[in-house]
Amino acid sequence: MDKDATLIKKLKNVTLKDTAFSELLDTYQERLYWHIRKIVSTHENADDVLQNTFIRIYKNIQQFKSKSSLHTWMYRIAYNESLRFLENNNKKRYDDIDTISESHLEVLFEDEYFDGDEIQKKLTNIIARFTEKQQRVFQMKYFDDLSFRKISEILEVSESTLKSTYYTTVKIIEEKIFL
Amino acid sequence: MKKSTIKSNKQNFLEEGFKGDIFKHHKKYLGTDIPEGYFEKSKSLILNKIKENIKIEVPKKAKKQLVFWMRPQFKFMAAASLVFILCLTVWLQSFNKVTVLEETNFELFAFYDTILIESLLVDESEIEAFTDATLFNEILVKAELSEQKLDNLVLDNLISEDSLLYNYIDYGLIETLVL
Repeated sequence: MDKDATLIKKLKNVTLKDTAFSELLDTYQERLYWHIRKIVSTHENADDVLQNTFIRIYKNIQQFKSKSSLHTWMYRIAYNESLRFLENNNKKRYDDIDTISESHLEVLFEDEYFDGDEIQKKLTNIIARFTEKQQRVFQMKYFDDLSFRKISEILEVSESTLKSTYYTTVKIIEEKIFL
Repeated sequence: MKKSTIKSNKQNFLEEGFKGDIFKHHKKYLGTDIPEGYFEKSKSLILNKIKENIKIEVPKKAKKQLVFWMRPQFKFMAAASLVFILCLTVWLQSFNKVTVLEETNFELFAFYDTILIESLLVDESEIEAFTDATLFNEILVKAELSEQKLDNLVLDNLISEDSLLYNYIDYGLIETLVL
């Protein structure tokens, strides 16, 4: 937390901003990438969204008021940028989508940087059939290793609901994976 | 069909959680991959894009400070000069009108002495009619007469020019014949 506070201070300092931003990239770039990648599926899409995310972070860091942690704030920006990307790409409102279409999974499996075997494809398929919220909760908890508290701040959902959602998704995966 | 890299024990499928290497964790469970050296390249790309964005934004801000292609310190001088010129133009125009009017008025009231003497002898009740008649004679009639004189002058000029032309032609003809 102290490390973040120091970094924020440097980022808000005009003379130290660029150096601090480079440090920020070293610390969070990979984590944000994977968070984005799971939403937008392909590497190329994730690359675009990641750039837009960091540009937005750079432009808005002065407005960051430390109400949440820096990490949470950046994750929320990445999440919103990913949704915006999907809306623009799919030409339809993302909050109407509760299930990902077959064509979306096809795009994922045909991606140059998807190297999954049958079980990995099956897991991806099962996750794709979850509701949008279930997907986000499971991915953030299991793959991004975020605490329920942080996920609650990002998705603005109570911790108890998140826990319930997460354990439900785990149970579904365990039941279906070897069917 | 690729051999699964994940344990086939259904109860332990999701047991192995995140162990520090986010890339390996994603590759293991989701089959997702990234190009080699991607994050270093991505970092450079993001930093360059931010620099480009700053370059574009700074000239826009600089442009906004110019007013009619001038720096703000000159805009007040320019505005004051413009106002002064406009006022001067309006004043000069009104000054000329007054002069003309005065001249006109002076002309209008330059009556013959006989008329002035006659006006002294006219009865008060008939002074209005006398004034109207005098004005009519002195101004309108005179104006008409002077216009007629001008027309005559122009006509005479044309006639004399024509006659001169005929003379010239005659002389020219004789000359030609003689020579």
